[in-house]
Amino acid sequence: MAGTPMLEIKNLGKRFPARAGREPPPWIIQDMSFEVAAGELLTIVGPSGAGKSTLLNIIAQIETASAGEIVFDGEHIASPEQKALHPGLNRRIGYVTQDDNLLPWRTTIDNVLFPLEVQGTLDDAARARAQELIGAVGLAGFERYYPHELSGGMRKRAALIRTLVYDPPMILMDEPFAAVDAQTRTQLQEDLLRLWSLKRKTIIFVTHDITEAIALGDRALVLTQRPARIAAEHPIPIPRPRQVKDIFTMPGFAAIYAGIRADVQ
Amino acid sequence: MRWRVWFDRLLVLLILLAAWQGGSLWLGNYWLSAPWSVATRFFAALFNGEMVFHAGYTISEALAGSVIGGVPAVLLPFLLRRQPIVVAILDPFMVGGYGAPKLAFAPLFILWFGIGIESKIALVAAVVFFIVYFSTLSGVRALEPKLVQMAQVIGASERQVGRHIVFPGAVPAIFAGFRIAVPYAIGGAVIAELISSNRGLGYLVQTGAMNFDTTQVFVAILAATIIVHAFIAVIDLGERFLLRWRPRGAVLIADHGT
Repeated sequence: MAGTPMLEIKNLGKRFPARAGREPPPWIIQDMSFEVAAGELLTIVGPSGAGKSTLLNIIAQIETASAGEIVFDGEHIASPEQKALHPGLNRRIGYVTQDDNLLPWRTTIDNVLFPLEVQGTLDDAARARAQELIGAVGLAGFERYYPHELSGGMRKRAALIRTLVYDPPMILMDEPFAAVDAQTRTQLQEDLLRLWSLKRKTIIFVTHDITEAIALGDRALVLTQRPARIAAEHPIPIPRPRQVKDIFTMPGFAAIYAGIRADVQ
Repeated sequence: MRWRVWFDRLLVLLILLAAWQGGSLWLGNYWLSAPWSVATRFFAALFNGEMVFHAGYTISEALAGSVIGGVPAVLLPFLLRRQPIVVAILDPFMVGGYGAPKLAFAPLFILWFGIGIESKIALVAAVVFFIVYFSTLSGVRALEPKLVQMAQVIGASERQVGRHIVFPGAVPAIFAGFRIAVPYAIGGAVIAELISSNRGLGYLVQTGAMNFDTTQVFVAILAATIIVHAFIAVIDLGERFLLRWRPRGAVLIADHGT
């Protein structure tokens, strides 16, 4: 946690604009402050509908903040006075959403190459990197398949490496593994940790699954039910590399789990 | 499964032919030409070049009109994607153009563009334009906002969103529009020829009716029907190639929807 934080959230608030003649809508996020260090994997746990996705949308610059500010890498990126949004902050913030959002008319390889194509950085080296990532998550042989021909877990992997391929320093992940079966999820979590250990990205990983938050995170924040605030912060001193499927057996797991469980409403 | 479908189709065809033949026997060949007479005349016309002469004319009109009407109908919704107000202003006029009985315009088009091929092309274009416009518009509107956000987060410009997200997403709707437009395109060409022409399938219908030659009328109708089938088969082929990314089930559902 030494050094300047990669991301600072200061007194962030969010409510949707009031309609004329109506009560102002309630706050979705209120007075939320936290920091994320460079190279940290921060997990955020909160009940469904707590405003976790809204928080990530604001950081990803696809929604505005209503109060407070966000500083990313020393630069103010969001404040209530902000006029225009800069989605993805010029490719420096990657976003892996709950839906894989693969383009159905593109094959696996073309989906993975899509960011490079858009960003005009598609060359042989980039192709090789994409191929390497495809191999790293076990999608080799499925390059020419369309999304509807892939399993849920494969689609998640393709979506994950589509973000990794253009190498944004920070990646937001919004319950990316929620919709797959437990066994596949464990594999995806191990894939993520392996990729993360190779390239220490700053990651904010949102989940409602406490075990997942412990297995992945350096630190877990617990959010309250609406309006979302930070209810508690839990360091996760379980040494890495971690085996996700054996995470239950790690010393300290039970205590951390109980601590987070008590704070989640 | 597949041969079963073809077998049953053959069965339906035989029943239809039998009903037609029965009606012809009942009413007399003069009022309702028998299938056999129609088939004989059809193949005779096919081999002596008369069919190519007339059907080719109608096909040219339908193709030219579909291009002239269809291309702007596809482009307009994309150009107006960022101008919802313009779309809203145009909407009642487009609905009017869609709803107006365009076949009733045929005499006007003949008045304006003459009795040559131009007036027929104009009518086909007017018919095709509105059908394809509304279909494409619905495709552009059915855009998945999450895909757009994904593209924006990775840094896609507005133009790139249009090219990589909106356009491919709207292709199924464009195909659906053209598929619906085909019978109207052929029908429009035939109707315009019926009113004033010296060539084309509509001309065959017209002269056949004038001479109380129901066989010739049926030959022309049969030819128009076969042309529509062929056009739709070509569209299906293109669709199957361009939309090979779609799951099989979705294609079937879309087929039932049209």
